[in-house]
Amino acid sequence: MATALNFNRRSLFTDILRLPWGLVLLISAMGMIGVAILYSATFTNPNEVDLPAKQATRLIVAFSALISVALVPLKYWLLLAWPIYFATLILLIGVELVGTTGGGAQRWLEVGPVTVQPSEFMKVALTLALAAYYHRRWHDFSGGFLLHVPAFVMILIPSFLIFRQPDFGTTLALFASGGVLIFMGGLYKRIIFAGVAAAIVSVPFIYMFVLQDYQRERVDTFVAQLTGESVNVMDDGYQIEQAKIAIGSGGWTGKGYMEGTQAQLDYIPEQHTDFILTVLAEEFGFLTTTGVLLLWMLILGLSISIALRCASLFGRFVAIGATATVAFYIYFNVAMVLGLVPVVGVPLPLLSYGGTVMITTAACFGLIASVHLSKEDPLAA
Amino acid sequence: MNMRQVDDMFTRRAMVAAGGGALLFGGLIARLFQLQVLERERYQLAAAENGVKLELAPPPRGRILDRFGRPLAAHRQAGRVSIIREQAGDVAAVLREVSNVINLSPERQARIIAETRRTASFQPVIVARELSYEDFARMSLRAPQMPGILVEMAATRSYPRGRDFAHVLGYVSKASNDYIFNEAFEAVNASRERQLDRDFAKEFAGIRLSKSLRENFYVKYPQQAGILRAFHDTYGDVATLLKHRDMRAGRSGIELTAEHYLRGEAGFRRLETNAAGRIIRELPSEDLAPKPGGDVYLTVDAELQKAAIDRFGEESGAAVVMDIASGDILAFVSTPAFDPNDFVNGISQADYDLLRFSDRYPLYHKAYDGVYPPGSTFKMVVATAALEAGVINPRERVFCPGHYRFGNNTWHCWKRGGHGSMNMHTAIKQSCDVYFYEVSKRLGIEKLANISREFGFGQRWDLGITGGRSGVVPDNEWKLAARGEPWFEGETLNVGIGQGQISATPLQLAVMTARIAAEGKLITPRIIGIGPKPDTDIPHDQPLDAAHMQRMKAGMYGVTSEAGGTALRSGDLGLGGPRLAGKTGTAQVRRISAEERRTGILGGEQIDRKLRDHALFVAYAPHDDPKYAISVIVEHGEGGSKTAAPIARDILAEALRRDSRRAPSYQQTASMRNAGSQSEEL
Repeated sequence: MATALNFNRRSLFTDILRLPWGLVLLISAMGMIGVAILYSATFTNPNEVDLPAKQATRLIVAFSALISVALVPLKYWLLLAWPIYFATLILLIGVELVGTTGGGAQRWLEVGPVTVQPSEFMKVALTLALAAYYHRRWHDFSGGFLLHVPAFVMILIPSFLIFRQPDFGTTLALFASGGVLIFMGGLYKRIIFAGVAAAIVSVPFIYMFVLQDYQRERVDTFVAQLTGESVNVMDDGYQIEQAKIAIGSGGWTGKGYMEGTQAQLDYIPEQHTDFILTVLAEEFGFLTTTGVLLLWMLILGLSISIALRCASLFGRFVAIGATATVAFYIYFNVAMVLGLVPVVGVPLPLLSYGGTVMITTAACFGLIASVHLSKEDPLAA
Repeated sequence: MNMRQVDDMFTRRAMVAAGGGALLFGGLIARLFQLQVLERERYQLAAAENGVKLELAPPPRGRILDRFGRPLAAHRQAGRVSIIREQAGDVAAVLREVSNVINLSPERQARIIAETRRTASFQPVIVARELSYEDFARMSLRAPQMPGILVEMAATRSYPRGRDFAHVLGYVSKASNDYIFNEAFEAVNASRERQLDRDFAKEFAGIRLSKSLRENFYVKYPQQAGILRAFHDTYGDVATLLKHRDMRAGRSGIELTAEHYLRGEAGFRRLETNAAGRIIRELPSEDLAPKPGGDVYLTVDAELQKAAIDRFGEESGAAVVMDIASGDILAFVSTPAFDPNDFVNGISQADYDLLRFSDRYPLYHKAYDGVYPPGSTFKMVVATAALEAGVINPRERVFCPGHYRFGNNTWHCWKRGGHGSMNMHTAIKQSCDVYFYEVSKRLGIEKLANISREFGFGQRWDLGITGGRSGVVPDNEWKLAARGEPWFEGETLNVGIGQGQISATPLQLAVMTARIAAEGKLITPRIIGIGPKPDTDIPHDQPLDAAHMQRMKAGMYGVTSEAGGTALRSGDLGLGGPRLAGKTGTAQVRRISAEERRTGILGGEQIDRKLRDHALFVAYAPHDDPKYAISVIVEHGEGGSKTAAPIARDILAEALRRDSRRAPSYQQTASMRNAGSQSEEL
């Protein structure tokens, strides 16, 4: 009778039972908060009233995707890591050659009826590839600096392609989450400090020679509002100024659900996508907004603990890389909305309206859950 | 490194990364705290200001009322259809749908489409105004199925009495750029010692919309920069108000002269708008409400006016009825007239041309702007002058053989064969021309001119409305100035029977009659009861000799009531007793040749209407207790006794029957207002 359920032998049934349900439920809760806020953000605009329903549908699709990704044993992800990376790289080159232009950037690739944005796939693909790379080279970890050069090249090639689209936000995200993985791979501290120093020194050069005009304007606006200058209300600073008014006027407890004047009167462009946080902050105030951020920190913390309990290096790197990818989404988005970094066009996972980020987020958490399910498999390299 | 060491390093670094991440997120929460807690008041204020827009609220224009408070110019709620582009989507398709319900020509539709393109997408553009009740009902029913169509009631200036007071009231219409310029120009100059030159201001106004050109102007004319800046601001304010789609400005008549009294002061409506400027709802704005314009009360009796116009029928002419005691104008008729309602929303060129080229001159204010030879109605003035100058004794007899020789010329009496022996009384009664040739020859033009002026001729009566002519009281000085040659004595004879160079308005004839009836008192006409006072320079007239006036009254009574009087048939007012006293007149329009005089003077249907004489009649009633004075002119009415006198009689009878001169209701209003202000002072 003692062997009614054997948890040591994996089956689809036991895998489903062993999913990190706490994490999955918190993610689902966050998704539902997102739909509720989206409803408030869109219901006054007749063109947008069907968006919350669409978002809810996507949420269900994303949930299924998350579970599906999770149920694929980690060893198969290890096998697929490189093929996915190179396939995505080819798609990126395809964008460069035949991609469609939207909003001033060339980001999308039309494959039959589907429009895909390969730069988003690359976030996941890069995580998988870097994890596979470090997993196979674990015995070289004491080999020093040279170990990390191929990893750096793996980040650099897609970053360059995406930067050319141009998509500054994604480039930054790739560098950030890729950088985290290199850091996890044991890069010497002095090199890290040197890199940071070099990055700081290079800022003026990037500003003057690399950035496009519209990107430069955003940076200018950002610096202006940081130093308290009144930014030109009609131009670029308008969005960030209106966002600050929305957030600031929310106070401790907010103006009440669907009562935010800035939100309901459409003062903030993109309030249902990148600037969804303004609606939350205006209508629910400081306490609830902080609560949502803490909820995110809890989700990210649980993800890190999954990484730490994994037996394989691949699993550890995948979980950390996926967590870092989502964390940087959140950080850049919130910092941007709060006027701490320039407007770079990064959505807020699970809260912003949009399909691409939803799929990326689902894939990331799906991988983390997969790591959890395969935590005892050492995945011999 | 073995696997174990790699794992340890990984765990250590993961903790560092997590710590770093927590630090970054902590930074976000700190920033959130800064914005939402520390700086919240500043942003709450900004959010409150964000959604509120002040929209100009045009003031309700004051009304114009008659002496008994009947509205002559007021407001009418009229149905209006507008279209809002952003809601309509396909404007052309929606307009086609509208044209299935109300009449909307394809040309008009094209004009509306063009206008929607020039207007902000959320601003309504007027599709049709002044809807009939049926159209309004049908449109209201169908509008919910037509996207972007707005059916609403809006206030329109209306003149409920139509043509009756067209020339007195004038009309309102949309202000032109010139109008706006003039108002701003006058406002700036009125408030400053240093005056702005009109041409200079015009030049500046031409470029004032361009900021850089304006600044150039300031630099170029540093001394004028201050006043130019003030002019720029004033112009902007005036234009904003007057270009509002519900604003109209007075273009003539009292609507123009009392513009600032009637207009009121603009207010604002607080509107909650979204970021695109679309109105979400109206917020309480009583504290910013516009100040309505003041009501103007006229001295006229609208019902008497209407009766008088009806009495004229198809005839064209003018009539002025005055209250002899007060000088109040009770009726101020010029007929036919235009309908000012047609001008409020712009009149079509075709309709305007009909008015402009009509041979009955409906645009012309005949009672105030029309100058006519007074004809025989002027004989009382000549007789008064003769008495004042002492050139003739009223009992002295002058023989009338039907013509009068002076120098090499012959002057004719209207009665072929002559009147025989005439004294002053019979000469007035029978309107003998020869008697007045003789009298005016003895008088000379200067003495005649002086007395004419004392009756109010040769000066414009300022009633506070647009228009008004002075006519001509000719004398030597006038002729030298006007013609460059001295006065010929023979011309005095023409003036003696009210022909030749002398000319007068029907208003002046009414004032003359009132002064005779009041036995010389200085009656001054007025038409504004409560409202902006006309800036009259009080005429320096002397009261006329009462004894002389009594003689004139006796003569006028003779005209209507004694055997041989020229208007005997019109003397009875038909009220069972009281009679009127009056004087006929005929103003010659063409010159009668000696040949025609020999073969018989043509008249009636034998000659073109426009060559027929004007018929005049002046009168007062009742003859023994004068209350009303009247002057009537029937253009091309041939003879005073034939056409003008019956009209005058019937109007006077109507005035007596209606008791038009009774105390106006606005006196109560005025005394109440005074009492109110006094009690406030206490």
